[in-house]
Amino acid sequence: MSRRNLPYLWTLLFLALAVTLSIAIGSVFIPPADLWRILAGSFSGATLPEPLKTFGFIIASIRLPRTVLVLLTGAALSGSGAAYQGLFRNPLADPYLIGVASGAGLGAVLAMSIQWPYSFWGLMAVPVASFVGALLTVFLVYALARVGKAVPTTNLILAGVAFSSFATALTSFLMLRSTGELRRAISWLLGGASQAGWGPVLTILPYLAVGLGILLLSGHTLNLLQFGDDQAQQLGLPVTRRRALILIAASLATAAAVSFSGIIGFVGLVVPHVMRLWFGADYRRLVPLSIIAGAGALLIADVISRSVLSPQEIPLGIVTALVGAPFFLWVLRRAKNQGFW
Amino acid sequence: MSRKLVFLLLALALVLAGCVPTATTPVPTVNPAITLTDGLKRSVTLPIPARRIVSLAPSNTEILYAVGAGAQVVGRDETSDYPVQASSLPTVGGYSGFNTEAIVALHPDLVLAAGINTPELVAALEKLGLTVYYLPNPATLDEMYTNLETVARLTGHDREAAALVDSLRKRVAAVDAKILPLNYGPTVYYEIDATDPSKPYTYGPGSFGDLLIQRAGANNVGSSLSGPFAQMSLEQLVVANPSIIILGDSNYGTTADSLKKRPGWEGLDAVKVSQIFPFDDNLVSRPGPRLVDGLEALAKMLHPGLFK
Repeated sequence: MSRRNLPYLWTLLFLALAVTLSIAIGSVFIPPADLWRILAGSFSGATLPEPLKTFGFIIASIRLPRTVLVLLTGAALSGSGAAYQGLFRNPLADPYLIGVASGAGLGAVLAMSIQWPYSFWGLMAVPVASFVGALLTVFLVYALARVGKAVPTTNLILAGVAFSSFATALTSFLMLRSTGELRRAISWLLGGASQAGWGPVLTILPYLAVGLGILLLSGHTLNLLQFGDDQAQQLGLPVTRRRALILIAASLATAAAVSFSGIIGFVGLVVPHVMRLWFGADYRRLVPLSIIAGAGALLIADVISRSVLSPQEIPLGIVTALVGAPFFLWVLRRAKNQGFW
Repeated sequence: MSRKLVFLLLALALVLAGCVPTATTPVPTVNPAITLTDGLKRSVTLPIPARRIVSLAPSNTEILYAVGAGAQVVGRDETSDYPVQASSLPTVGGYSGFNTEAIVALHPDLVLAAGINTPELVAALEKLGLTVYYLPNPATLDEMYTNLETVARLTGHDREAAALVDSLRKRVAAVDAKILPLNYGPTVYYEIDATDPSKPYTYGPGSFGDLLIQRAGANNVGSSLSGPFAQMSLEQLVVANPSIIILGDSNYGTTADSLKKRPGWEGLDAVKVSQIFPFDDNLVSRPGPRLVDGLEALAKMLHPGLFK
């Protein structure tokens, strides 16, 4: 294996480890030997002996769908984070920079304030409202930041921050006015999968496939954008159009991820930075590496979130920052290529 | 075929028709299957009364034990602490979320959810093949009795529940008999939370706290506010000037002494004459049979002369 591909090997190994842990660890202890028999049995199609059936059911119907949902969410947040950082040439950028999180939060809390009937669409109200809220916010911010034909980066960030404050204030107001939904709103805003089964996975998959697909193909564009808009334009890049495309792709992936998992912070900010510190700033590698490592990192956070206080769960957004921040500071202090940005 | 033979065959057929059904129809029995519509308008069917129950709310746990189904409960939420036997049951989560894995591992044939649980949780458990009954939040004592009967129906304790509801009604009637003739009532402020003493929370309309204080023969200052958990300003409280203060937050360390030290509270009549009483908030906040205990305790506290 060439040295070029080593980073992929490491991150994929990390992801495989994270998936294994996520399936093996939960509030119900499944002995490793039983776990192995269940996995072997599911591949060979053999029926499980009676005492293992519950374990088999827990793995197939609870842990596996959740593992895949968290994996996709981490991939989307981290991949979008890498793209946003490249797009805005700003180390503080994360997928929520221009309002995806605050728009999604406002949509979700609005939906929660209504008593929906217990039906498929009643249960889909919160994810759909947060998805729509997130995308509407991005389009609104983009339109507000536009000056003539150009959309200056600074305007975009400032419009995003201003609109985010507005939406967050509205969300807080709604939460204070509400009576019974406060707990639900808080746990959504702190992040964590609430719906079980394969439904959420299948619902967000198309958006993630399109969004992350575009981002994976945008590495070269992001590299050129690092020279500055004027230089990139002179190098023949249709800057405004490409930037809009990347922005839409990243926002689409983030909005879909957030709609079922709530607002999980920090992953989208930190994983791309760690990848950049370790493996360099070439976006053709940085985006895929961030996607793989982000999936693994969020899976590890999810394992911690459901095992520390088991059978209770700590909201995922709390774990990512609580565990992620010290880890990132450690990486930052040890990094050989200081001043990497 | 001769006419005689036809006649004979017909007669035989008649006899057979007459006796076959009686020979094969079993003695009529009551179908044990139970089908009820729950608080989310879902139709829930149990083939037989539930034998392994997971309770997702403290009120549900109290109801289950009260109707005599305590031995059938195999799991609880972390705040279910009454009766004491319930505390030894395994927990399946609580305030910050429920653990579906732990619920499945208990093999329940009924998961009893309540108004404080989210519909998403109900859907998730339903998707895992569990039978979930969502007990609606009652707004009146009568609706609470209905909940007792519903839970009894699901668990096969109809007779116990009927006796329980009967005794609860009698106890409430006994309180009513003493309170209703009164033509005066003290003004009461019930404190849920005063972390910020200038903006405390109290029970407003739509809460059992408000309902029971009024039924116990007092004017609740929260009645004029909006919402079951109402926030009021110290200014409003001074104007209302309660003569009795009930500390529903006494479980969290609030005492009459700590209340008296709050700036601006010294002008209240209740503080001047030291009519400040600790109270177990669980007796009014959990919509179960102990609401009647709460009513009796409040009536005794507010009208000590009547209950000796």
